[in-house]
Amino acid sequence: MVFVNTDPMLILRMDWCRWVCLILFWANALIAGDFAFAQEEPSTYFREQVLPIFQQHCLACHSHAAGEMEGGLSLDWKSGWELGGSRGPAIVPGKPEKSLLMQAVLHASDELHMPKEKITNQEISVLNRWIEKGAFDDRVAQPKSVEASSHDWWSLRPLVCPSVPIAKTSNPIDSFIVSQLEKAGLERSPLADRRTLIRRVSYDLTGLPPTPEETDAFVFDQDTNAYEKLVDRLLLSQRYGERWARHWFDTIHFADSHGYEHDIGRDHAWRYRDYVIQAFNNDTSWSRFIGEQLAADYLFPDEPQLIPALGFLGAGTFDLSTYSTATVTFDYLDRDDLVTQTMAAFSSTTANCARCHAHKFDPISQEDYYALQAVFAGIIKGDVAFDLKPETTLERRRLQLIIDAADRRDASELLKAEHADAINQWLISQRQSAQWQPLELQTYVSTEGATLTRGADGVVLASGNKPDKDTYAITATTQFDRITALRLDVHSHESLPMRGPGRCDNGNLHLSEIELQVFEAGTQQGRTLSFKSATADFNQTSWGIERAIDADPKTAWGIHPAVGQSHYAVFELAEPVAMRPDTKLAISLRQLHGGSHLIGALSLSVTAGDPSQIKAIPAEVELALQNATDDVGFEVGFEVSLEDRLTIAAHVLRGFAADSMRLLPAKVFVYAAAPSVAIPAGEGQVQLKSLPAPKTVHVLHRGDFDKPQAISEPGSLSLIADLPHRFTLQNVHNEAERRAALANWLAHHDNVLTWRSAVNRVWQHHFGQGLCDTPSDFGRMGGVPSHPELIDWLAIWFRDDAQGSLKALHRLIVTSETYRQSSASDTQGIRLDSDNRLLWRQNRQRLDADAVRDFTLAASGSLDLKMGGPGVQHFKQSKGPQSTPTLDYTVFDWASPGAARRSIYRYVWRGIADPFMETMDFPDLGLLSPVRGFSASSLQALSLYNNDFVLHNSQTMAQDVETRVSGLEQQVADCVMRVWLRKPSEGERAELTEFASRHGLAELCRVLLNSNEFLFVE
Amino acid sequence: MQDIEATSHSGFEQQLPNRRQALACVGGGFAGVALSQLLARESAASETSHRPAKVKRVIQLFMTGGASPMDTFDYKPELERLHGQMLGPKEKPEGFTAPAGAIMKSPFPFAQHGQCGRWVSSVFPEQAKLVDEMAFLMAMTTKTNVHGPGTYMMNSGFLLPGFPCMGAWISYALGNIADNLPTFVVLPDAKGLPYNQRACFSSGFLPAVHQGTVIPTKAPTQSNQSIADLFANEKYPFAKRSADEDSLKLLQKLNHEHAKTRSDDSRLEARIASYQLAAKMQLSAPEAFNIASEPEHIRKSYGLDQPATEDFGRRCLLAARLVERGTRFVQVWSGPQGATGNWDNHGNILTELPPMALSVDRPIAGLLRDLKARGLADDTLVIWSTEFGRTPFAQGSLGRDHNGGSFVNWLWGAGIKPGIAIGQSDDWGYQAVENKTYCYDLHATILHLLGIDHEKLTVRQNGIDRRLTDVHGNVIHAVLENPNTSGK
Repeated sequence: MVFVNTDPMLILRMDWCRWVCLILFWANALIAGDFAFAQEEPSTYFREQVLPIFQQHCLACHSHAAGEMEGGLSLDWKSGWELGGSRGPAIVPGKPEKSLLMQAVLHASDELHMPKEKITNQEISVLNRWIEKGAFDDRVAQPKSVEASSHDWWSLRPLVCPSVPIAKTSNPIDSFIVSQLEKAGLERSPLADRRTLIRRVSYDLTGLPPTPEETDAFVFDQDTNAYEKLVDRLLLSQRYGERWARHWFDTIHFADSHGYEHDIGRDHAWRYRDYVIQAFNNDTSWSRFIGEQLAADYLFPDEPQLIPALGFLGAGTFDLSTYSTATVTFDYLDRDDLVTQTMAAFSSTTANCARCHAHKFDPISQEDYYALQAVFAGIIKGDVAFDLKPETTLERRRLQLIIDAADRRDASELLKAEHADAINQWLISQRQSAQWQPLELQTYVSTEGATLTRGADGVVLASGNKPDKDTYAITATTQFDRITALRLDVHSHESLPMRGPGRCDNGNLHLSEIELQVFEAGTQQGRTLSFKSATADFNQTSWGIERAIDADPKTAWGIHPAVGQSHYAVFELAEPVAMRPDTKLAISLRQLHGGSHLIGALSLSVTAGDPSQIKAIPAEVELALQNATDDVGFEVGFEVSLEDRLTIAAHVLRGFAADSMRLLPAKVFVYAAAPSVAIPAGEGQVQLKSLPAPKTVHVLHRGDFDKPQAISEPGSLSLIADLPHRFTLQNVHNEAERRAALANWLAHHDNVLTWRSAVNRVWQHHFGQGLCDTPSDFGRMGGVPSHPELIDWLAIWFRDDAQGSLKALHRLIVTSETYRQSSASDTQGIRLDSDNRLLWRQNRQRLDADAVRDFTLAASGSLDLKMGGPGVQHFKQSKGPQSTPTLDYTVFDWASPGAARRSIYRYVWRGIADPFMETMDFPDLGLLSPVRGFSASSLQALSLYNNDFVLHNSQTMAQDVETRVSGLEQQVADCVMRVWLRKPSEGERAELTEFASRHGLAELCRVLLNSNEFLFVE
Repeated sequence: MQDIEATSHSGFEQQLPNRRQALACVGGGFAGVALSQLLARESAASETSHRPAKVKRVIQLFMTGGASPMDTFDYKPELERLHGQMLGPKEKPEGFTAPAGAIMKSPFPFAQHGQCGRWVSSVFPEQAKLVDEMAFLMAMTTKTNVHGPGTYMMNSGFLLPGFPCMGAWISYALGNIADNLPTFVVLPDAKGLPYNQRACFSSGFLPAVHQGTVIPTKAPTQSNQSIADLFANEKYPFAKRSADEDSLKLLQKLNHEHAKTRSDDSRLEARIASYQLAAKMQLSAPEAFNIASEPEHIRKSYGLDQPATEDFGRRCLLAARLVERGTRFVQVWSGPQGATGNWDNHGNILTELPPMALSVDRPIAGLLRDLKARGLADDTLVIWSTEFGRTPFAQGSLGRDHNGGSFVNWLWGAGIKPGIAIGQSDDWGYQAVENKTYCYDLHATILHLLGIDHEKLTVRQNGIDRRLTDVHGNVIHAVLENPNTSGK
């Protein structure tokens, strides 16, 4: 049997006609009652039997409406199939066996399987009969292509500023709302009272309730600008960014773990969370916010502190298992997630619907979609390193420039006057060289049984057994009374493969780690000495000598390809060490790479010399130095060849730059996406991954990974006529430029989607629903705005007048009378507009899950306002069956440090959600969640009533009140004030006090925290 | 809402507008939303029910890791002939964890059972006795060879996270049978959660009320805490059980008072009702979870007397008790995620598969017999499933790798034609070749049995009318007792 990768369909080998007969016989037998055709009108049969099959299986790829006619074939009108596509007419009336359509649906030949998943035998039979009887089709008019009118849709039309309706209002928002209400015969509701208003606007802008004191101050403020002052104060509060960051994270499905099978934590994701909070608090303009999140590295290269913004690119899921075992699938699906997220978040489009075929409802082609995939083809999600301070980056860049120049032997840089001093200093230091003295070896053994012998010249030679890995343990003494460095010479020797100095067949060796201990006389306990630096006369590429002192046994020093010659390395001690004649040194040479990469011949020596004189010098530098320092060096213009000068300068400056680089503050990480990342792989491990160049993205036929078609160039959607949809890039290989180009496309003045999208999202969170109620889909499958002119007016105002300032937009909205009106019911309103789309009142909102927690903490008096830093884990983490840990939320101690911080600082595990938050409708962040749901269930009631968090805070609140207020009745009143922000009525006061006297204040707090008055904002 | 319906030229006739409103209700606009919908109670069923239902309750048994078909139900003599030959793909297919090894025969003897003569290997002696009651899908196939996406697919019909699982869709469509127990209950293996963790039981973009209620993985020794937060933790002494009645009375009074002037907002009413339901659940759940009350012979028939079968048996028994008392859908998982203790037998089929098979075999047989005895077989469906199959090629020399090409599921119970098998894999059991079925078809069939047209159960999310069956799915009429050819 030959291996067939696709289904080994035996049927293919049968004559297809016979197969048709067979099928039809069977199908007819199945449909016993199918004598319909004889009695039915052909038109009825066509409409009821045939057309549904076309609609279900064919028209997605073969119709004007789909904007797609694969192979040139359209099946949405008669002429379409009569004319046929590239293969000729699809149907020959009366002759099913001659009709291509039948061959295709029967999967009769290898090359033509349509649709890919075979339709049922019953459906095949219907088509066969229809063709047999003459293929009646009354669709004679050419269908209108969606393409022609597709841009004529509210969200795609150019933004033209509508005139503000004339009304007796000062805020244009009110003018638009009132004029539409009037048309509908409705009136706006009266303004809400101040107590209601402060709770509402505090919730909307900060996600926290006002304190009772703040409430009273506002209620009794005589200033006519009291409300405006309140709004300004809230917008200046750091709590504002914490609130609005949450909305954004829902929109882009940001969480602290991968999701999927290996749902591994992302311990550096929080830096993006902090970035977003700061960006909102700083009122970063919307266009800048887009640019920073998509391409901060490219657009703002001198501001490394903005790199956390790229956490946007890493917000979504990461399927580590598919990444590891099915790479092509992974690449396309992971990029799909990013494309979906980006286009939904910024432009409210569902570009992802065009992965398998042209978007069925919006003018988005497959080519457009894959052009977007190409934008992200050069990055992969993972931890990205960055400098916290710009000056560190500038310095790092300067030093790297020097190192690069040294590698290139670039005279224009290396021989600059500014470097001359450093070089001269070094030359002077080299006039004297350190005195090295061989160690007096006492014992030298191989732990793996190799034979180590010491020759007359003091060189220790390895022979005999040649293990895979080995460690040499050597003890020795010295005459020096102090030492500053240890030197290891590895010698070429004729007994070694390729003359050594290694024992590996190619003459190489790998020194994984060198360790040095001192044993004072009479002690058993050695003291390990640490090294400050390591230098060698030769380093194999990526196997530098510093790897022998990095405490990582997986990295090592090597000397390939410079085999057949001796080499040496110098290990400088962190500080000089005093020695006595009886002080013993123990040296351990660990050679753990495997493959017998072992040292063949070695000697060891020590020095007390000055640090500047002891470093190892590569052979060519040594030679140049000899040429140059017959006199004092080239500062006096002595005849030193340019070659030698460059050799020396390169060596010296590279050394200085590398040393300085090591002293720079270490980089920190953010979970984001970049060409070079460390992928969290569980239990603190990471997998390093680098993409040297962007991957090639193909248009995939029907989204099938096995059917790549044309190569996609980076670009965006063509649905905004005024913006070029394929990017002109200076350097197509620079992936960051692709992202920057998309950011510029999105943030463009003329990108009508972006501005409409942003104002609608802000509106949504002030009114419970957007002017368009599908905030991430402005396409034909989404909603249409209740107030199209208002959304356009706001978009233009936000873009031009407010210059993309969200705070200005908030201020405009929350100071409107539309926002400030009461949420109370009204018979006329309910009758005419029960959904309140026209906003005849404000919408009552239930606190979202995060606010339930934060309001509870505020009421209990335990709210901790510490900002930033790693997330608080509301669970106990233990090792799971594989890399996903086990999380236990039930054992968390709500009195532990950080437990009372705001919900935004929670560590959000994507696949192992916090059960309490989940019952309160915290979204599943596997997908984008631009709108929070509402649910009420017995499980939610149990959660609110019995969860440790609520009980702990009921107790805390009661205790806090009891220490501050005396007298049960006053205590009850205080609890009511904290939870409901009002005084209890006389009746309530009596009843609640009576209850508290029987069951305790804490039990009363528990009841109050479960009340609808607490959980809803008017 | 009107404008949305009006502008939709999608061809999806059934918009279930009330459902849509229920989903969209974040701000105002609750006049049209019935309380029952917010609470997902049974009265909603009439709205989504598209045809008479054969099935009222469902138990799904899920073998985590990819149960090997050719070592259990899919007998392949050809493997014996070709054993040891290198005939597999030369390059590692996407999602295989290693390159394919030589063809490997099953180490277990097969024999024919029952009137139907179904081949079953020696690992399932108890299920083998019941093959005449089961309907086998012998050529199930999937779109991935990777656990995470595969497990998502079998649960939600999508390879990606974030979509509602079948249990959530069923809860959404039909609501509950009794209001004192959760509608959709998940009983994970005591050793841990499956691949994708709790995301397998997610309600996705449906309201949270429809997500699976996960009964803690540790044995519910205290039936009082079987459901999270059923009662207050004892470390809060003020939250006394004795105060509950008074507290609830006060709470409801306050909430009624508050709702009085807000009568048009059904959310407030729904929250009030939710506390009444919670109180009912507090009364009912401990009894339902108390399997100690079952007679000895019943406990024994589920294998509760043997350590090997105790965990899965206990959960099967619990599943029977829950559906008996009105839970709509129960999922019982065998095996956690990870490299051991589940059906992902990469290392050695001979040693890794039998303990897993043993742990479920008697409990499953016990469950099927007990459902009959309790009179539940008339309206209960049981599904045995897994996320994919395994390769006919050896991994290493004794194990088998992931294979989405072909695998076996079976159905049992109401509406199912007993003793049949649909579909066939190739001679090696590598790829499904004849009458192959996807999760879409399985889901469509289950919904069909529950009286739901899978193409009409839709929810619009981010621009797409989402279905459990995506854009696919055909009801597998051949496994139905009385094939109804009018369904799609």
